[in-house]
Amino acid sequence: MLKNVLIKYSKFATIAGVIFVAVSLGFNLKGQHSSDLNSFFADTLSTQDNTEGLPARNSDGADLNNNINAMPIYGNWRNFTSKEGLPDDKTYCVKIDGERVLVGTHEGLAVFEKGKWRTYTTKEGLAHNGVLAIDVSELTGDVWLGTMGGLTRWSAGKFENFTQLNSGLPNDLIYSVICDGKDVWVATGGGAGQYDTYTKRWEIFTEQNAPMHEPWTYGVCEGDGKIFIAAWGGGVVEYNKKTKKFRDYVDPDGNMEIDLFPDDGVVHDITTGTSWADGYLWVATYFGLSRYDGVHWKGYFDHDSGLASNFINYIIAQGPIAFICTDKGLSTTNGKNWVTYTKNDMDKNGKAVIIEGTEETELVMSPSISHNYVLGVDVKDNVIWVATSKGISRGELLK
Amino acid sequence: MKTSKLIVIFGVIVVLGLLVYFPGRKLARAHVNEITAVTDHPLSCTSCHVYISQNKLISKMVNADYLSPLNMAVSNDGSKLYVVAQDINELIVVDVEKSEVLNKIKVGVHPHSVILNEDGSIAYVSNQWSDNVSVIDLAASIVVDTLKTGNGPSGLSISTNGKFLYVVNTFGSDLSVIDLATKEEKKRLTTGKDPTGTELSPDGNVLYVTSRRANFTHYGEPLICDMTLVNANTQKVIKYTPIESAHIMENIAFTPSGDLAMMTLVRPKNLIPTLQVEGGWMMNHGVGIIEQKNEGKVVQLLLDEPNAYYPDPFDIVITPDGKKAFVSSSGVDRISVISIDSIRTILAESSPEKLKNFSNNLGISSRFVIKRIATGANPKGLALSPNGKRLYVAEQLEDKIAIINTESLETIGSINLGGPIRITVARKGRRLFNNAGHTFQNQYACYTCHPDEHEDGLVYNMAGKDMGRNMTNTQSLREIGETAPFKWNGKNQTVYKQDGMRFSTVLTRTEQFSYKDLDAIVSYIMTGIKYPPNLLYNPNGELTESQLRGKVLFDRSMDNFGNNIPENNRCITCHPPPLYTNLELADVSTLATTDDPILFDIPHLNNIYSSAPYLHDGRAETLEEIWTVYGQDDKHGFVNDMTKIQLNDLVEYLKSFRGPEYENSDSSIQQASTYKSN
Repeated sequence: MLKNVLIKYSKFATIAGVIFVAVSLGFNLKGQHSSDLNSFFADTLSTQDNTEGLPARNSDGADLNNNINAMPIYGNWRNFTSKEGLPDDKTYCVKIDGERVLVGTHEGLAVFEKGKWRTYTTKEGLAHNGVLAIDVSELTGDVWLGTMGGLTRWSAGKFENFTQLNSGLPNDLIYSVICDGKDVWVATGGGAGQYDTYTKRWEIFTEQNAPMHEPWTYGVCEGDGKIFIAAWGGGVVEYNKKTKKFRDYVDPDGNMEIDLFPDDGVVHDITTGTSWADGYLWVATYFGLSRYDGVHWKGYFDHDSGLASNFINYIIAQGPIAFICTDKGLSTTNGKNWVTYTKNDMDKNGKAVIIEGTEETELVMSPSISHNYVLGVDVKDNVIWVATSKGISRGELLK
Repeated sequence: MKTSKLIVIFGVIVVLGLLVYFPGRKLARAHVNEITAVTDHPLSCTSCHVYISQNKLISKMVNADYLSPLNMAVSNDGSKLYVVAQDINELIVVDVEKSEVLNKIKVGVHPHSVILNEDGSIAYVSNQWSDNVSVIDLAASIVVDTLKTGNGPSGLSISTNGKFLYVVNTFGSDLSVIDLATKEEKKRLTTGKDPTGTELSPDGNVLYVTSRRANFTHYGEPLICDMTLVNANTQKVIKYTPIESAHIMENIAFTPSGDLAMMTLVRPKNLIPTLQVEGGWMMNHGVGIIEQKNEGKVVQLLLDEPNAYYPDPFDIVITPDGKKAFVSSSGVDRISVISIDSIRTILAESSPEKLKNFSNNLGISSRFVIKRIATGANPKGLALSPNGKRLYVAEQLEDKIAIINTESLETIGSINLGGPIRITVARKGRRLFNNAGHTFQNQYACYTCHPDEHEDGLVYNMAGKDMGRNMTNTQSLREIGETAPFKWNGKNQTVYKQDGMRFSTVLTRTEQFSYKDLDAIVSYIMTGIKYPPNLLYNPNGELTESQLRGKVLFDRSMDNFGNNIPENNRCITCHPPPLYTNLELADVSTLATTDDPILFDIPHLNNIYSSAPYLHDGRAETLEEIWTVYGQDDKHGFVNDMTKIQLNDLVEYLKSFRGPEYENSDSSIQQASTYKSN
């Protein structure tokens, strides 16, 4: 009896083992292939911000309706560090607000306006000098700042702070903030929070009342009548604003650091950001990138796409283009084609690697972005701003 | 009958009478002493059994429904006056020439302001206690629409293109921008605290919104009150102009040329001991001037004089020629007339340092105030005829409109709006409450620290007779009748005591109220001050899920770990409904080094959401801070086992508390109802 059982299960084990080995080989070969292609194309073109020969594109870098596969390419980088007036080289986030640019740094909020930087800190009323997230209300013009010590509303020069001690804010450590009409959403170390600026009410969402693994939330975005929360260890939590119901999207593979079955769901449960645009939900993790069209998931990794690194700090999508901030540079993609901006280790120069289908080209940038550890990005019209661990970079749409 | 028999009978009656009188009087004295908590109040049964009776029949008989005109608008041709009658929820249409009431139009609850559209065919009335604006077709004299607003709408303005209505939401501290085409609120902008007045600059580009409350500060820091400036084109806030050491900015007006904006304001000296009253300027009252050039420089000038104060300035209007401004000094029943050219001279000739010093200069008013015109009781809203030759004054506690000739500066007429002729005891009390005549030099009225019979959000140094400084957070007077004892230390068991001898000793520094006046003011405070409805947090009595969870926490006897919470450390023990106080004293571990060693009166909690800051010395900016910052030892209720969600739920529940009248109402919707206005 025992012998029969052992034989039976050993057959299953053998079959399962063969399948596992085959899949693993497939992955390894696929990664190797991609890597080879990258190195091949890397040698074929090297120009210096020379856009000759690149596909023509319209003036709005992010809205490329004429050619859905075309990718905007940015160059003419100009970098700002503490030498140029930033309060600190460590920049966490950036937001373009009309004629000014707001930059969250480790030492306060830096505002670039009319060619000059001005810094606002706790002395002026900021909740904390570490500014991790910024959004601007389209309705009111109020600036909402997520800091390491609370949420600040900066309205017409006046600072008002919401903390976990003086308000219903879930937690003082705020990773992400967005304005959604009259509501302000925050992703914090103690759950996601919704603040209704009309009723002055807070609502908190944690593992106690939402499908989260734990209350640590990293990102929040709005789209399609829903709020998407990047929940640490909980994948993406979707909140339907109409029904007030939750659902979650988790990695079907569990917490494994490889994506065992491709495109079966979000690539990992430890998510760091979400962004919704053009019918797509983009999800950033420390283990790769995911895109969801409402039916199908698609995963992207550094070994099988133009993604600079699987370690993604932040993501924002505008139109068909996603801007992905990683620890090894800034990548942009429309899901098919890629442009990745990096800086050389030893000098200020760098390159943009452009992948269109199977073609890869390189564009030398001099200078390139300020640093490869990219934490934030914002794009408006023909200008891109990139927040890095060593300063902030301003780029312009080429051609 | 023989004379001797008559004498005997008479003697027996006298003896019996004396036998009854002396013990009876002694008993009556003891009874009155007990009821009033003082030993000197006359043995007058009516004081308690009539004037402050809660019996509906008696209340109906002794009180009356007054109109209480507050604000006004004048028709484009100047023939009609539209008067907001706050206590009867009506807009009264008045024929100015005939001085007669033409019509009364029912609007929402507790209306505040009225404004006409450009052609004068439509009136918009803000209804502060129903969170909406009534749209009135003036030709038909009917309400044709109701526009939803934020919480506590008051001041109104219309964009120059006539497309947008700006509504100041006093309770919500924001501004609703209403699209008049879609009739929907387009957006809501954050303003200063408790905004009321608003005025569009003559060029139509900037909307100014006044604030009544100062921003929160801990005691010892100077006050800052915000004037909110909104770009009328982008409809976004462009500036919060800080108005220093001032608050209660009720209204604002522009000169026709647009060079000056002028607002009414009060300058409280809350950082000095209240015993300073006899030294003068415990409170000052004046106008703020915002120059449109010089980057909006702000100057404050006092309307007060060294030995005569002009408290509670409410409204301000400026004549079309830009020469005169009129301010209703509602605490002394006067209109202060200002020469604007004199103010321009002062601004032009004075150095910045001098101008700054003028904000505390009691003599400066002689340089720009050209006359004080007496009015009826409690002048509030002002309106000028289109040609600027007539000034109309809403005499709120007279139910009349005074007419003043703006050239001769004489009162030339009065329009009786048709309120009750008799003055009830409570009405008399309301007049006393709003009048500074009982305070040394007329420095302030009860209303000054209790605007709208509520509280001013400030902390005062009451300079206790012991060693303490006794920082005291002003308490609301809304529906306090059943919540004795009073004061934070609970030393005043009745309002008779609170407003009697001690009141004059500590606060007014004059003769104490006569007993008739004391009866009147007690009657008003005990019966005439109502809660506004809690439309923000509990509009219909149905608690939200969060509030229901909070109620469970409020009522709980076990903590999150299943341990018993001692009875004296449960919320419900000290704050039982319907008043949410057990009327006892308690130690919640908040005694400060500046306090005399005392226990604190357990406050009632109805409408607690509107009474920030919290605790006896106002140290807690928000309800949350009572526990997150000042209640960490679990002596003010057992809360430290709670999660953040639970604390939020508890706070949400506390914010749902509203007046018992609403809880007992048959209607599920708060209408703040039909009470005798007094």
